[in-house]
Amino acid sequence: MEIPYVVTPRKDTGLNNSKIAIWLFLASEVMLFGGLFSGYVFLRIGADYPWPERTLPVLPGLINTFILILSSVTVVFAWAALKMRKWAQFQIFMAITVLCAVVFMGFKGLEYSVKFHHQAARLTDYVMVEGHIDYEKPATDHDAHGEGHAEVEPIRDALGEKVEMNVQRFLPATINYEVARVHKPWVEKTLAEAAAAGAKITLSKDIDFNRAGESGKPVFKAGTELSVGLLEEIAAAQWANRASNSKWRTKFLRQAWKDKRADPSSALTEAAFLSEFPNMGALPPAEKDKAFARWKAGKRARLAADVNLEAATLKQDGRPVTYKDVQLPEIPNAIFAVASGEKPFSLRWDNLDVITDYKAGLTEITLRDGTVLGGKQGDSSMVFHYVDGIDFQHLVMIAEKKGQDPLVAINESWIVKNNPEVAKMWELHQAGVKLLEADLIKDYGYEEDGVTPSRVPTHKDRYRMGWQEIAYYAEIFHEKGGYKNASAADVKIEEGKYTPPRVKAKVMEQFKGPDYKTRHFIHLTVPREQVMMDSKFTPKWNTYYAIYFTITGLHGLHVIGGAIVLAYYLFCGRSMYLSNPEWLANRVEVGGLFWHFVDLVWIFAFPIFYLM
Amino acid sequence: MADSPEEIKKAIRTYLIVGGILFAGTVATVLVATVPMFDIGRHGFDHWDMWLGLAIATTKASFVAMVFMHLNHEKKAVYWLFASGIIFAIAMVILIFGAKADPIEYKGFGEGNASIGAEP
Repeated sequence: MEIPYVVTPRKDTGLNNSKIAIWLFLASEVMLFGGLFSGYVFLRIGADYPWPERTLPVLPGLINTFILILSSVTVVFAWAALKMRKWAQFQIFMAITVLCAVVFMGFKGLEYSVKFHHQAARLTDYVMVEGHIDYEKPATDHDAHGEGHAEVEPIRDALGEKVEMNVQRFLPATINYEVARVHKPWVEKTLAEAAAAGAKITLSKDIDFNRAGESGKPVFKAGTELSVGLLEEIAAAQWANRASNSKWRTKFLRQAWKDKRADPSSALTEAAFLSEFPNMGALPPAEKDKAFARWKAGKRARLAADVNLEAATLKQDGRPVTYKDVQLPEIPNAIFAVASGEKPFSLRWDNLDVITDYKAGLTEITLRDGTVLGGKQGDSSMVFHYVDGIDFQHLVMIAEKKGQDPLVAINESWIVKNNPEVAKMWELHQAGVKLLEADLIKDYGYEEDGVTPSRVPTHKDRYRMGWQEIAYYAEIFHEKGGYKNASAADVKIEEGKYTPPRVKAKVMEQFKGPDYKTRHFIHLTVPREQVMMDSKFTPKWNTYYAIYFTITGLHGLHVIGGAIVLAYYLFCGRSMYLSNPEWLANRVEVGGLFWHFVDLVWIFAFPIFYLM
Repeated sequence: MADSPEEIKKAIRTYLIVGGILFAGTVATVLVATVPMFDIGRHGFDHWDMWLGLAIATTKASFVAMVFMHLNHEKKAVYWLFASGIIFAIAMVILIFGAKADPIEYKGFGEGNASIGAEP
């Protein structure tokens, strides 16, 4: 089939079809990204909590911007080379363009993976803690700040998996499975852990699916050891009884309905209608029929709701039976008892898998598959091996709304009150902010009133200690031989930089995050009851990250799609170049237009997400 | 229209210059955001920095659209198509702003009688 107007412009528009089409498509893309960006704007303007400003490292975003701009230039040169019939030049420029796309996605992937491995927790008093949760490792001879910790091999659980120190532990004495819903991998995990600890899990009482005095249905004896197969058999017996009960219920309900309709008071005749509503007889026939139909439907519904299942009888083998005579027991739960062995037997659960709200001293927890564990809570603290962010901004905002002094609120917060290292760090940070205030006054002076400084530290400067600040203070602790020996006099700021005291980020740290191996950070154990919510830096963490991942992710998919199309022109365009080079040039131009649009979106996304 | 090989040869120089402008614009965006000397308005990020950042971004985007996407010498049909997208996007933003004028009011939900969309 000959496609018209792919080379020759149309007479009415003066353009070829593909150009019209691509601009139409780009108009729709403007709507798509415009909607997302304006959504971001409104969410940010309307946020009633401190918005994370400039928390992303700038260097990866900057390099990605350069890469995309370079690719935009090379795609235009590729098109120009085609128009001038220089095939080799076209190949070179197009190859550079596709390579730029691959490098862009590589940096994006690195950025995302660093975020997904970085942990954050919002405490119940709205203090935010950020850092790195390590895997459980055997205690070794290393100092409290984790030096040498990175090289130690993590402990593996009974299934051979590493255990992140952000789990809920529970020491079960009883396990109540909802046999129909039970999640089998969890049963396998439980069995593996029990075997490793030498514990035995057995059925605590008989489960008999027979009616009293009868036999033929499965019976599961108390003392039977737990296995996935056992639970499956119990579930199968449960389903079989339910199916039988359901069939009988249908039969008895049919009979109950027949009995109901046989009752004279349930008549659905016009005579019955008129005896209940005599005045309806005066209506014209058409309206009377309508009213009768409505009455009949309503009465039928009331009768149906009123059927007596228990009273219905059916003939079986010549004798009457009721539903109760044939109903089989439905036993949805199987309860097991745990007999501990020599080693303590505890199960570890991801927080999202436990439905019960965490409270200290719980004796029963329910999991997402309906399993109820009875027993004792184990240590479920979150253990940050490296804390690289403490943010008081939200706590301060709430305190200011209530009219409280923010510094008092911070000193009363759990993290400052219960962790002397953090308290000392906060003391040093306040000294650093005072130095920053003085530096700003020295360089910018006062307003016309002579009292108000022209420039003051921001809310973020005052109340957020990012990784660079924490690394600086932790370095002081290390140099002084412990936090107790550090004092405000040790804090210095770099004049003219107008930031709180901080270390300078190395180039690789802007890509891979803080260097935990050589820098010092603090260790923190947070009891689970202090944690309101925890998450890695994922869309779940806050609205900013949700939108950041949505827009950059969607943009990334556009980059991949565009790169595939351009790669197709690069690798498969030779035959078209030889038969109809102008058509290929038009296709490359159109592909290039899409590529420029992708670049345009990034030109806006980079400053909005990384610099504002 | 830069369609003939001769015109394209002349346009190559323009593409290179615009590429350089885009790189410089990117550097400018970062300098404005990170170097204290270029921090206008209050110390730290405020709405002046936002307008400046968006102005630089819009300028860069205009260069890409006008030169690389050939919008500086396109046919009318293309202008209409692209402009329609922009107009609808602006209309969408105005409609969302308009939500503030018609807030949803509800009672209950535990935290007092809040209204969605109204001024706090």
